[in-house]
Amino acid sequence: MQDYSRTRFLIVDDFSDFRSSIKAMLRDIGAKDVDTADRGEDTLVMCRNKRYDIILHDYNLGSGKNGQQVLEELIAGKLISHQCIFVMVTAESSQAMVLSALEHEPDAYLTKPFNRASLLQRLDKLVERKTALKPILQALDKAEHAAVLAACDELSRQDKRYAPLCLRYKAGALRELGRHDELEQLLTQLLADRPLPWAYMALGSLLHSRNQLQRAREVYEKGLQQFAMLPGLYDGLAAVLEALGEEKKAQHLLEEAIKLSPLAIRRQMHLGKLAMANEDFEVASKAYRHAVEQGRTSRFKSPENYLGLSQALTSQAGDGSLDKRVQQEIGQTLGELEKTYSDNPAVQVRARLAHAQSLVKSGDAAQAKKLTEEAMARMADLPQFFSAEVALQVAGQLRDLGQPGAGDELLKNCVEIYGDDPAVLQKVAGQTSDPAILGGGKEAVELNRQGVRCYQQGQHDEALALFRRALLLQPKNISIALNTAQSLLRLAADKGSEALLGECRACLDAVRMIPDTDPRQERYQQLRQRAFGA
Amino acid sequence: MSESREGLDFSTVIASTVHDMKNSLAMLTQTHNQWIRQMPEALLHTREHGVIEYEFARLNGMLVQLLGLYKLGVNQLPLQPAYLEVEDFLEEQIARHFEVLQSRHIEARCEVEEFGLMGVFDHNLIGSVVSNIITNSIRYARQQLLLRAWEEQGTLVLSVCDDGEGYPEAMLAKQSDYVLGINHSTGSTGLGLYFSGRIAELHERNGVRGHIEISNGGPLGGGEFRIYLP
Repeated sequence: MQDYSRTRFLIVDDFSDFRSSIKAMLRDIGAKDVDTADRGEDTLVMCRNKRYDIILHDYNLGSGKNGQQVLEELIAGKLISHQCIFVMVTAESSQAMVLSALEHEPDAYLTKPFNRASLLQRLDKLVERKTALKPILQALDKAEHAAVLAACDELSRQDKRYAPLCLRYKAGALRELGRHDELEQLLTQLLADRPLPWAYMALGSLLHSRNQLQRAREVYEKGLQQFAMLPGLYDGLAAVLEALGEEKKAQHLLEEAIKLSPLAIRRQMHLGKLAMANEDFEVASKAYRHAVEQGRTSRFKSPENYLGLSQALTSQAGDGSLDKRVQQEIGQTLGELEKTYSDNPAVQVRARLAHAQSLVKSGDAAQAKKLTEEAMARMADLPQFFSAEVALQVAGQLRDLGQPGAGDELLKNCVEIYGDDPAVLQKVAGQTSDPAILGGGKEAVELNRQGVRCYQQGQHDEALALFRRALLLQPKNISIALNTAQSLLRLAADKGSEALLGECRACLDAVRMIPDTDPRQERYQQLRQRAFGA
Repeated sequence: MSESREGLDFSTVIASTVHDMKNSLAMLTQTHNQWIRQMPEALLHTREHGVIEYEFARLNGMLVQLLGLYKLGVNQLPLQPAYLEVEDFLEEQIARHFEVLQSRHIEARCEVEEFGLMGVFDHNLIGSVVSNIITNSIRYARQQLLLRAWEEQGTLVLSVCDDGEGYPEAMLAKQSDYVLGINHSTGSTGLGLYFSGRIAELHERNGVRGHIEISNGGPLGGGEFRIYLP
């Protein structure tokens, strides 16, 4: 038996009888430091203040967050170390729960009722396992993935019982390190020997990220033949099908996955988006409604769900008018959105436009006009650019609301900021055929392309000249600005030039409105840190 | 009104009731355990206590099995295989029956062919199968229970043996269709074997499916149950 006298325990359960019964069992095995809580929200607060070694957490906690949500938030918020033992306690071995937990699995499940002998046997084993895995887990806590790999190799050599677990950590580390060929080989070999659910998921998502869509599809389909009830495989396959342009099939798959596991806010959100694209407004509004509801207790809540719900409900009416009940739901949804995101000016703009659209359908043109004008006024001083996707959506809304000029202006902006992305240009072309808008960025994008080529060949002076010309044409294009800043930074260091450094800072300032959600945000932050100092 | 009554799907009714029964039983067991803690030492090791513990475990096992059979029937019993340490798994199953074994003075142990033997199976499903078999063996065992595990040409074999009377001849003869063999005298055992067989079949590797076998004799001279997992 392990020594539990210095272990810090946390028991979370909504039944006080159960808490005291577990506490008594833990006392019997020598535990002295045992805290208890009755709500998942409390777990988060307590873990912020104290580092627990073992958490025994009930899954179903009544109305608040469930155990799985708590675990996800603990991991995402780094509130527990990888070395912490998290045991999910369940009233019954609910399959739906286990199935939806593939991404963030607890260390063990314990089914009620259990006796002291079972609890002790489980805890002893878990402590033994975590102790053996310690070098891996410590490296994971520090996000040192190369060290994770080394520790995995070492431990699987020492004790073959841990070899399968090490493989899983190894796969994660290879993914983090971007060593894709090795990861693919590892997963393919593993699957040839043993059909394991996590390996199917990992291989499918790897192939998808490498844009090998057909192969990703085959992997997911094969996985589903063996594990027909694993919602994660449906999610993966749906994403691949969407990328292949088979949106209808993708929607159908997600509907199946939701039947298996409805408590998954991101799945509901994805379904809402797909169904909107497929113009299946009934499914879309249902999915977004669930996503809004589940979002109230989840860190994955998103304004997109509120806006999506309002959009789907408005569109569902077709050319007809909205009935009272639907009007009311839209009003409530957007009211909650505005209140929840009161500090987000972009959301305030979009909520007003969505509201205006529903008012047009309800026959209140005057109020719709007023809200549209309010939205346009607020749009002028947004602190960040819209992402390309949102900009396109808002441009469409403005056109619907009788403001084609403002819509075109937004598209023009969108081309300037994101015009180097062919996918964005294609979508802009879906909204306008005006050559002044569509062709706006052409020359600058070409100069940028030439600049990149020169830079890669080590011709830094030539590259800078090209980037400068491109930036002059499109000063708000994020890619061009970052490229210019990067080459300026390099030359400024080479030549020790303050002037070049100043120009670099100006470039970065010009795109300081880059959205938080933009994939280039990290690169922007790095350049900024180098240009402006810590 | 009458139409919807006729349309009531009886298996769904049972499943949802079983669900509630299981929760209720969990509450009962837990409250009983708390009550036990307040009892004087002399009352703790009485025969009555043993009977209560045993019947709790049996009821729980039956309810789990019933829910499992329902899910098999509607094709909603998912398989979640993972690599598991076999000895750890078997010890866990014994620990679940600790009180009952103690009160009946049955010694249970496990033997694993080699240190660190690993298996790939669904922890939860095989756990309920082995646990039910243990509950059943406890009923017939005199003093000993043995859980063994070994590997045979890449197939993992888990075995539960006891030193009791063994399975009735009729049951051994009809082992390929347990479900037909279910009658009032073998009822729950027959159903248990059927459930075990179905769970074993869910485990598949390169086209080979798992299966179960029952026999008499074995290392303890009583009944032996084996589950083969490819």
